Amino acid sequence: MEKIISDLSHHIRLNKGFFLWMGFLVLAFIACLYAYTRQLRYGLGVAGIRDYISWGLYISNFVFFVASSLIGMLISAVLGLIGMKWVHPITRIAETIAVAFAAVAGLVIVMDMGRPERLAYVFIYARFQSPILWDVTVITTYFVISLLLLLLPLIPDMAVLYKRFANLPGWLKPVYKALSLNWTDHPEQNRIIHRSIYILLILIIPAALSIHTVTSWLFALTVRPGWDSTIFGPYFVSGAFVAGSAAVIIAMYFFRKNYKLQDYLTDLHFNNMGKVLVLVAFVYLYFNINEYLVPGYKLKRADAIHLGELMSGHFAVTFWLVQVGGLLIPIILMLFRRMRRPLPLTIISIAVVLGAWFKRYLIVVPTMAHPYLPIQHVPDNFKVYSPTLIEIAITLLSFTLVLIIITLISKFFPVIPIVETAKDKGLDPLKSIES
Amino acid sequence: MKRLFYIILLVVISSLRVEAQNPGWIVPDDQKAKICLVKFTPDMLKQGEALYMKNCQSCHGIPTKKNFAAISPTPGDLSEPKVGTQKDGELFFRITTGKAPMPEFRNILTEDERWSVISFLRSFHKGYFQPDPEKMAGSIGKRIKLAMTYDTVKKKIMIKAIELTKEGPQPAKGAEIIVFVQRYFGNMQLTDTKRTSENGFAGFDWPQDLPGDKNGNVILGARVNDPAGKMQEAVVKDTLAIGVPTNKPALTDTRAMWSTRDKAPVWMILTYTLAVIVVWYFIIFIILSVLDMRKIKQA
Repeated sequence: MEKIISDLSHHIRLNKGFFLWMGFLVLAFIACLYAYTRQLRYGLGVAGIRDYISWGLYISNFVFFVASSLIGMLISAVLGLIGMKWVHPITRIAETIAVAFAAVAGLVIVMDMGRPERLAYVFIYARFQSPILWDVTVITTYFVISLLLLLLPLIPDMAVLYKRFANLPGWLKPVYKALSLNWTDHPEQNRIIHRSIYILLILIIPAALSIHTVTSWLFALTVRPGWDSTIFGPYFVSGAFVAGSAAVIIAMYFFRKNYKLQDYLTDLHFNNMGKVLVLVAFVYLYFNINEYLVPGYKLKRADAIHLGELMSGHFAVTFWLVQVGGLLIPIILMLFRRMRRPLPLTIISIAVVLGAWFKRYLIVVPTMAHPYLPIQHVPDNFKVYSPTLIEIAITLLSFTLVLIIITLISKFFPVIPIVETAKDKGLDPLKSIES
Repeated sequence: MKRLFYIILLVVISSLRVEAQNPGWIVPDDQKAKICLVKFTPDMLKQGEALYMKNCQSCHGIPTKKNFAAISPTPGDLSEPKVGTQKDGELFFRITTGKAPMPEFRNILTEDERWSVISFLRSFHKGYFQPDPEKMAGSIGKRIKLAMTYDTVKKKIMIKAIELTKEGPQPAKGAEIIVFVQRYFGNMQLTDTKRTSENGFAGFDWPQDLPGDKNGNVILGARVNDPAGKMQEAVVKDTLAIGVPTNKPALTDTRAMWSTRDKAPVWMILTYTLAVIVVWYFIIFIILSVLDMRKIKQA
């Protein structure tokens, strides 16, 4: 028992590596924040978005963030409720990623607003018919449920560490005590927490499906080529699982290496996550085929222009890199057991995440570049979108923010649920607390 | 590469079209000499300002503010000396004929309305003096007055054209008359043009199925077709209750997806509200019960 506690919590301390990494993140954050102050002062004109292509990096990034946050639901709820025991050590990583991405996704939308101080108008003048209202609602709800799913399983761990982890930094003690909510392993407490987590696991499934389906509807409820599709909801959801699973694998690899968790995040977990990734990637590939083959067979005029731009035009290089390098080759590679070992799988996952990000760009921008009414009598930079340096910096700002949140959560709290791990091994850490 | 080719093609084609319509936007001399036949009045200026705000401001911006639209070719601020030094006739011609992307206002604004817009613009041009209409009156050509009535028996719109000559009013023979119905934007011409008879009349069959407003009112207009601008504009406008009464509620009057929040479909309000209440009931219930755990002490 002592070994589990020390193995899973020895990283909870302030060390040089943490300060270096955090310092780097904070510096990057401040530098990118400067770019945002420029945008606040001079308006959205400092970004490359213009009248026609008004959704660029920011909205692509928003869709990617929402997508990545969906993984919390797949791992904790779907696999957890089915009774897959092997996901237990990964659930907190998945929820941390979900919370970080969902929290920042909302901020990314604010970054795309020319007048962010008018954010409240979204609620004050909300229309029930508007997908924007639905989106804001489900993202808020999903964020709160994910946060609860992160915090509730932490409660017993907090109690155990508060009482039994001698090296807990003094300044963290009040935080742990507050979060442990006087946990004494009382049967009534166990009943409440299990019931609460169970309800949340069920609630999060429709919430997560809604969050990304509604995000897809922001596009699919228009008649524009490339967006006007009835399968956009499941297409987005399956794509989200691909991005999220890959993100979890990368995080697993990082924690395993840096926090020395080889005994807990074993090759088995990577192998299984590899299988999950292959499965969701196949589903996503299936939706991709539908999404391009069906309009490509009919080639309605506007669709023809859109698909031409994607497959052989302006966006062709990105498109084929994303489809082949970010989806097809990873699928084929991951079919082999050897490729599902930690290092190769992590490298494949990095390719998948990159592909997933650029895929969102390919969903958002090319459609905007081809409106039904011709673009005419406008300056050249209205016709072709190219992100400015400031825009890229602001996008990086959101990434640094996500990394800061993940770093803080994973550094100051156990990455792997301690009590659950102990119970899976037949130990009962809480019995011995009081004795 | 392909894209570039299409852009070039598009530019070439659009410029060709413009050239064909309107080579260089050159104003013919006789049009340049045209002037407004009445003195600009404050009322005219006011009407001109309202028309400007409705029809011109979206591209040209508010005069002197230089807030014209960022499009190419640039519309420019109309208070600039470049515009101020042009003759009234030139401005009138440009408003009348337009030049892509600027629309022609021939069928959108009447001549009087175009002049009132010019009177508004002139208020920004320093050193502008309006040419005296009295002195020019002679050179303007024919003056024709139109009158419109509806013949209920023959179901015809009758237009009477009277020429105002020095000898007094006389029936205008052979004037080409256009009758039109006013729509939301612009006018719809009713049948072919007709020339007035010996006694100055022209009759137009009124189609019995044309919709009017809920009282059957239609706004009709008639004018003399005078593309060369050889005479003073002659128009008549009238509202006649001769259309089929049509009571179509506006699309935004009923509850619908595209309406305002107050007119959201009931099922949508219910679904949204219910979903939010159910989910948040559970969330709040869980938060409260978990916080309650603090009170439970080990037995």
